[in-house]
Amino acid sequence: MENRKIYEDLSLIRKRSQRIFLLVEILLVSLVIYFWKIQILDHDKYWHQSESNRIQEVILPAPRGLITDREGHILADNIASFKASLIRENCKNFDLFSRRISRLLNIEENVLRERIEKYKSLPQFKPIVFKDNLTLEEVSLIEARKLEFPELVLQTEPKRFYPFGSFAAHTIGYLQELSEEEIKSEVHKERKLGDLVGKTGLEKIYDNLLRGEDGHYIEIVDSLGRHRGISARKDPVQGHTLKLTIDSELQKKAEGLLEGKEGAAVVLDAQNGEVLALASYPTFDPNRFINRFTPEEWLDLVNNPEFPLENRAIRGLYAPGSLFKLTLALGSLDLNLITQNTSFFCRGSIRIYGQNFSCWRDQGHGWTNLFNGIRNSCNIYFYNLGKRLGIDEIARYATMLGYGTRTGIDLPGEKEGLVPTPEWKEKVKGISWFPGETISVSIGQGPLLVTPLQVAVHTALIANKGIKVIPHLLKSYQESNTKEEKEVISTPRNATAGIESSAYEKVIKGMWGAVNNEGTARLAKIQGFDVCAKTGSTQVVSSLKAKEESNQENKIKTHSWFTGFAPKINPKVVVTVIVEFGGMGGESAAPLARQLFELYRRKHD
Amino acid sequence: MIDRRLLSNIDWILIALLLWNSALGVIFIYSSSHYLPWNFYLRQIIWIVLSLAVLFMFLMVDYKNFLTYSFHFYIIFISLLAGMLLFGKLIAGTKSWIRFPFFQVQPSELIKIIMILLFAQIFSEYKARYFSWNKLLLSCGAVSLPILFVVLQPDLGTTLTYVPIILGALILAGFSRKSFIFLLIFALILSFGVWNFCLKQYQKQRLITLIFPLKDPLGAGYHILQSKIAIGSGGFLGKGYKKGTQSQLRFLPARHTDFIFSVIGEEFGYAGVIIVFLSYFLLLLRLFRSVDKSRDRAGVYIIFLVAMMIAFQFFVNVMMVVGLFPVIGIPLPFFSYGGSSLLTNYLAVSLVLNVKMRRFVNV
Repeated sequence: MENRKIYEDLSLIRKRSQRIFLLVEILLVSLVIYFWKIQILDHDKYWHQSESNRIQEVILPAPRGLITDREGHILADNIASFKASLIRENCKNFDLFSRRISRLLNIEENVLRERIEKYKSLPQFKPIVFKDNLTLEEVSLIEARKLEFPELVLQTEPKRFYPFGSFAAHTIGYLQELSEEEIKSEVHKERKLGDLVGKTGLEKIYDNLLRGEDGHYIEIVDSLGRHRGISARKDPVQGHTLKLTIDSELQKKAEGLLEGKEGAAVVLDAQNGEVLALASYPTFDPNRFINRFTPEEWLDLVNNPEFPLENRAIRGLYAPGSLFKLTLALGSLDLNLITQNTSFFCRGSIRIYGQNFSCWRDQGHGWTNLFNGIRNSCNIYFYNLGKRLGIDEIARYATMLGYGTRTGIDLPGEKEGLVPTPEWKEKVKGISWFPGETISVSIGQGPLLVTPLQVAVHTALIANKGIKVIPHLLKSYQESNTKEEKEVISTPRNATAGIESSAYEKVIKGMWGAVNNEGTARLAKIQGFDVCAKTGSTQVVSSLKAKEESNQENKIKTHSWFTGFAPKINPKVVVTVIVEFGGMGGESAAPLARQLFELYRRKHD
Repeated sequence: MIDRRLLSNIDWILIALLLWNSALGVIFIYSSSHYLPWNFYLRQIIWIVLSLAVLFMFLMVDYKNFLTYSFHFYIIFISLLAGMLLFGKLIAGTKSWIRFPFFQVQPSELIKIIMILLFAQIFSEYKARYFSWNKLLLSCGAVSLPILFVVLQPDLGTTLTYVPIILGALILAGFSRKSFIFLLIFALILSFGVWNFCLKQYQKQRLITLIFPLKDPLGAGYHILQSKIAIGSGGFLGKGYKKGTQSQLRFLPARHTDFIFSVIGEEFGYAGVIIVFLSYFLLLLRLFRSVDKSRDRAGVYIIFLVAMMIAFQFFVNVMMVVGLFPVIGIPLPFFSYGGSSLLTNYLAVSLVLNVKMRRFVNV
């Protein structure tokens, strides 16, 4: 009680506070009652509403960005397409439905069932696409039976369309539907089941640029399934337009030249690494993959013994053959193991490390210096260089000059090839390196493997006297909403600071001779356009296919290579061609390359 | 600075209730946002730890000092709000945020603490049984500036949370019918002035849809309907943790912030709702009971206004998610994700603890 006197009298305001708290209690109790009403008494009503939530978001798929060649011709476009979907919650009798629909639209019943089964994790009200690319007749068939099949819905969507079919198909790539596992992965966080994504090529690597932003709206449907209204519409944003470095004329020419063969051709801008043409044959029509239902056609392509889906230009692994002599010459010059006057005598064969190694010309080349060694592609000359260099130095220079590593082109799945070393052999095969293998590697045989694109980049490096370019396909892209053009610039870098430019000049001189001085590449000669090149023919030993083929008499067992650039001074263009089982490089690959050089020259004069 | 006697007077039960409520919040923030990439629940835990640290820091200073300088704080924050209006950048349609490298804060939340202190200071000297005109004018003037600035941001939700603070102060001070009428007229004049002279067309439009959601049935009305479906479909025991179809399928708007209570209702059902109500009841009970522990008038005001502020936000939020109140961006204190709101509420409770632990000292 004594306290009362010390502290001031606050009873009045305390009483007011207590009254307010009484109010709080009353309010809380009324809320408890109200929630009882909602959650217990009205539970059934809300539960049904949540089960068949009719207010649903409808996705408006964004059209993918266009892909054009360097002059703006459209290579990948979008067209409108119809797809038919099933809404399971409106389906009363699924057996009856699948039977009648399979007859109506000519789909196999078990395919239809598998399809629906695959998407069973989706909520009941979400449409499941079971057929797309409907023809107009199919659309009218469905429209006419709208009342019979309330569970059937027709939707339109922009569909990818490649107007030139198989044109540059390996480069552009194709789309496929995401699988359920892919949906769950981190990469495709924002994607939905049924979305089409880039599976290979540029469609894959630039998927983020191309894909755009889906729009959506909220659709209100009453309990009878009648459409009641639309709200909160957000329009889709188309993906960015990609402009490629591809020159359609050159690409078309390259594909035309390879037609009926198996092989690849690469045309590079020597200065900046822009890929003007990247062809691989045989090829395929990417339009066929956009359809959601192509299991049979797909399997046909995957299991085709000629591997039409493989992009041979970046994934084909070949022995470089005589092309590797350029690498060897550069290494030997750099280490001062030879000068341009160093000569070796070629009498058609040579015995090294107790083994016989022969030249391609049985009667031999006689006394051969560097210029003639390259010009005539003399094996004996390079066996001697290989012996002087040794496998470790060969491997070092091969790696320095771009073999055994990816070129960094903006395409997925590029192979890195193989530059063998004794350590590699020890590790992979468990046996030690034979000195004789070094001699095989010296002329580009043995376990050495390169891709055509690596060869092209290597050639550009020689043409630029040591400056390496990064090959790339994307020239620029245009922001779809701002129309802002974004240039992609790849800066060439000095990759081989050690090698003097005089060494390159000596090698280039030999390459010039090979074309213009009755050398092995003479069929690539163009009057007034100083082509410098090297041919190669590689024996196919390990490939199973080759063994099969060798049983057939008239099939040649060598791949034919050509790589070169032009003109000699201020080089502008690099052309690399490989024709599988084409025979001698000078005979089958060089004439094809000449036509590409000629076309380039005609376009740029 | 802080002696043993003070420490023993800290109301640990109140702190425990505070943390209990916050922990429940984290559980539901996780459920409603675990499929989003931003780790909201982790951020919330960091905010809780930080706010708790700030809470204890503020306990070291006698609340009397806060009261003495309340007017200075008030001036600082008012200038801050005015500055933000002039120089701020729009984030999510309002200018209510100040950005820092790793987080952003809303001064409009924190100013509530200043307003509580200011009112406690103004009315602590005031011992008459009923309210006087000059006090009314003073308090209305003090509160009208922040209201004006925050309405202009525009952030109607936060503005509304100022109401219980001034209303609470007036109730305690004894609020006659005459002054009530005066207050009403004052509010009308103020809103009339703001409406006609300060707001731009789009701001008016936004306010209209906030107050009358049925004018935009597919916008705000859609959210209310979805939220009601979520709660109603929860039933007695709910659909289970992380199994609410409404929330997991993203029919619900602002699931981890303003509509977190719908997630609770859907996933834990009526039982979950009752648990949250009970937790809140205990917290509010503890706060309102603390009024009796204060030995001075300013302390009573502080505790009562804090209790009013938290109770008001709780009721508005819970009523909002079942459609008994227009959809206005008011978070559920301690439960909703959001650092500024959490920090403000922790600071408010810190003031209550401050008053309680110094009840024997300030004779």
